[in-house]
Amino acid sequence: MALRAQFENNNEIGCFAKLTNAYCLVGIGGSEDFYSTFEGELAETIPVVHVSLANCRIIGRMCVGNKHGLLVPNTTLDTELQHIRNALPDTVKVQRVEERLSALGNIVSCNDYVAIVHPDLDRESEEIIADTLKVEVFRQTIASKVLVGSYCVLSNQGGLVHPQTSIVDQEELSSLLQVPLVAGTVNRGSEVIGAGLVVNDWCAFAGLDTTSTELTVIESIFRLNDSAPSKITSDMRASLIESMS
Amino acid sequence: MEAVNIFTEKFHNIINERLGLVLLESTKKEGKCESKSAQEPSDTDGNSCSYCQVQFADLQSQREHYKLDWHRYNLKQSLLSKPPLAEDEFNEKTTNDDLSSISGSESEKEDSLDTLAVAQGKLFLQNASTTVFSIYKCLIFDRKEDISDDLLNPRLTKCTLQNPQWTLLMLGGGHFAGAIFKGNEPFLHKTFHCYTVRAGQGTGQTTRDNRGQGGKGGPKSAGASLRRYNEQGMVQHVKDIVENWKDEIEKSSLIIYRAAGPYNRSVLFGGSNPLLDRTSKKLRTIPFSTRRATFTELKRVHALLATAEVYDSLETATKIYALQKSPDADLKRNRTRTSCVNRAKSREPIERPLPSTLSSTSSSDEDLDEEITDLDIATIDVELQKEQPQQLEDSILEVVYETSQLEDLQEFGDSLTPEQRKKPAKKKSKPKKSKSKKLKEHEEAKRKELVDFISKGDVSGLEKLLANHLNSLDEGVDKEEAKRSFVNQVLDENLNTLLHEAALNEQNDILRFLLDNSADPCSKNKAQQTAYTCTQSKEIRESLKQFAKENPEKFNYNKAQIPVNALTEEELAEKRKAQRKVKKEKEKEKRKENEVKRKEEEERQRFLNLSDRDKRALAAEKRIRDLSGKVITRCFNCAADITGKVPFEYMGNVFCTIDCLKAHRLKGPILLS
Repeated sequence: MALRAQFENNNEIGCFAKLTNAYCLVGIGGSEDFYSTFEGELAETIPVVHVSLANCRIIGRMCVGNKHGLLVPNTTLDTELQHIRNALPDTVKVQRVEERLSALGNIVSCNDYVAIVHPDLDRESEEIIADTLKVEVFRQTIASKVLVGSYCVLSNQGGLVHPQTSIVDQEELSSLLQVPLVAGTVNRGSEVIGAGLVVNDWCAFAGLDTTSTELTVIESIFRLNDSAPSKITSDMRASLIESMS
Repeated sequence: MEAVNIFTEKFHNIINERLGLVLLESTKKEGKCESKSAQEPSDTDGNSCSYCQVQFADLQSQREHYKLDWHRYNLKQSLLSKPPLAEDEFNEKTTNDDLSSISGSESEKEDSLDTLAVAQGKLFLQNASTTVFSIYKCLIFDRKEDISDDLLNPRLTKCTLQNPQWTLLMLGGGHFAGAIFKGNEPFLHKTFHCYTVRAGQGTGQTTRDNRGQGGKGGPKSAGASLRRYNEQGMVQHVKDIVENWKDEIEKSSLIIYRAAGPYNRSVLFGGSNPLLDRTSKKLRTIPFSTRRATFTELKRVHALLATAEVYDSLETATKIYALQKSPDADLKRNRTRTSCVNRAKSREPIERPLPSTLSSTSSSDEDLDEEITDLDIATIDVELQKEQPQQLEDSILEVVYETSQLEDLQEFGDSLTPEQRKKPAKKKSKPKKSKSKKLKEHEEAKRKELVDFISKGDVSGLEKLLANHLNSLDEGVDKEEAKRSFVNQVLDENLNTLLHEAALNEQNDILRFLLDNSADPCSKNKAQQTAYTCTQSKEIRESLKQFAKENPEKFNYNKAQIPVNALTEEELAEKRKAQRKVKKEKEKEKRKENEVKRKEEEERQRFLNLSDRDKRALAAEKRIRDLSGKVITRCFNCAADITGKVPFEYMGNVFCTIDCLKAHRLKGPILLS
């Protein structure tokens, strides 16, 4: 299920929210409409939490996480950290990272198994990412851009990358990450995928400007709708073959 | 390298052609980059790394590859659009130098020549005929402007050729200097100074006031208010000057200023009607540090800004600039080291070699060769005169041999080497030296003899020596004086005299003999000790004291550090006896006092052990006993004597203080009546 949302008339909802398979963080303040969009969709399955990091609302760009853990920058206040720890499930490890590149959301993109990171990331931070998020870490660029978190969104089902990523790069990446990838845009042609889209294994939220076509691409690559073409070959295959035989 | 004034014809010729920016350390891009896209892997199952251009058999090896340093390095290379390195090339590189470039975000860019040039505010430009020159960036671009090649030519020609009129303004520390230059010549200029900055302390008055020290509104001293007043005056003064020049400033192509700090900037840009328009395209700051704002400094700044350094080609520019870079740093270091000469202390004189008399003394091989050839000609002449047919191809060896013969023939030639000239002088000085040495040795022997006698305690020997010495003297000499000088002579390098020697060796007889023969006990040795202080021996000290007592007027015994009015043994004993007596008496008294105290204490203890009823009874008893009116009472709690004082009391119990009363009350059950 892919939904459109807006944060105070701003389409870059990826800046203000962080969505994983175990929790959803939403930037504090602003209209409650944004929050209720998430809550209405997710509240039955995962906690949706109001959070600020270093008194900023752009939590989506500041932190990175998956179902195993959450990493926050070293500018995070103690009270904020305590609040996050209280609100998230106990299985989720929350940790602060002493990294020069503090906008972790921009430099790391991950699902529950792999992460691609900025080539200049500290070795120590790389280790922390691997330990806390329980992922395999690869240093990589996307379309010759180092901010992999901004230009790529991953879930366990698939990934959307910068529109100018070459076919070779896409193939290599998809082989590396073991998920299908597609180059695309959000928010009516925005190439900053990470800012316009948050996604987990069963749900996606895109900016309000996202066109129908873009939404269809998103739904199909992240396998969010039941009517994906792949359904025919995978899920319906057995029954079809049975009936034909 | 050549420094060219940018207003001259020469510079105009250089910038006539199309200009472009150059980087000093740009690496030439190789065609390898394009090969990346050309060399696409044929089978596209994704088991490859396009950055390192390698194929993998399976996913595992691909994943492992992505964690290698080699891959990281190539990733960075690709970001810098440089060709990737093959694995063996990379291994070679890493064994040779460090891995700093791939170690992650900690890596810092090292100082390249280009970053240095940027830091110095310089631009390196190249024209169509590959002449490279550097000028200050501020002449062309504003600080915040992006550098673009298209703007170079028109702007540079405008500020140098079409309109070489520049305005320079400098403001700081109460100094103002402003001038308008046309080409190299200043045609309007003005400098003045206001007392706005306290000399010892630095900062301008308003800055200090705003800092909030010294109470609200800064210090209230007379000087502070004077400076505040002067600051206002300065603003007005600068305003008047700039307003006067307004037309010329409008006309000038560049306005270059220096105004450090908020106050100085507010003079130029502050107020409701600022002197200069902050958004003006002409406005530039001086890109290097300047000294105090004076007219000479203005001229220096202008000259520096108006100078372009022209190089023949990019390589020479790089080379020369790199040279300029390093010595500069060295210079700074050296300056700091040499500058701290302590002029309060005397310095070691520097010994410089005297100039040698002959320049040819440093007979290098070349000089020798020349000499030989000169002599060669001379010999040939001589030979011709002698009419001895000889071949001209004589070997050099022979010639050299003959020159040695020729030495005698040269009448006025200076044939002596400096060593030879020095030799006779040395010979003359030698016998003299030996004479003085002999004398010294003789004296040494004498001294040794003296020391010998003293250490042995041989008085008669010493007497004989003294007599000999006196006899050996001429008739006219004062005997007494000679004796004194003999007795008081210094024996060794520690400046010990005979007396010291005697004292050190504890030879009492010798000491007495010396003192009788007018030896001076005041003389000090190197350690500033007199004969008295240099020894620990009681005997020697006693005899010195004795001597002092017998001859109280002969020497200054204070100087000799001999205690003159010290007491004798008997007197000392007497004194000690008296002291002991006094001490005994004191002890007795103390014992008595202690006895009294103990008794008092015992009584107190007894009293405390009584019950209150008994206490009261005792008090009553005492009252009855001392009917004379002298009441002896004690505090019921601490048993202190409170006779004659007004006691604190409750229910018939009396106490010395209210604290005792309270304590007593709390101790017993409270009786409410």
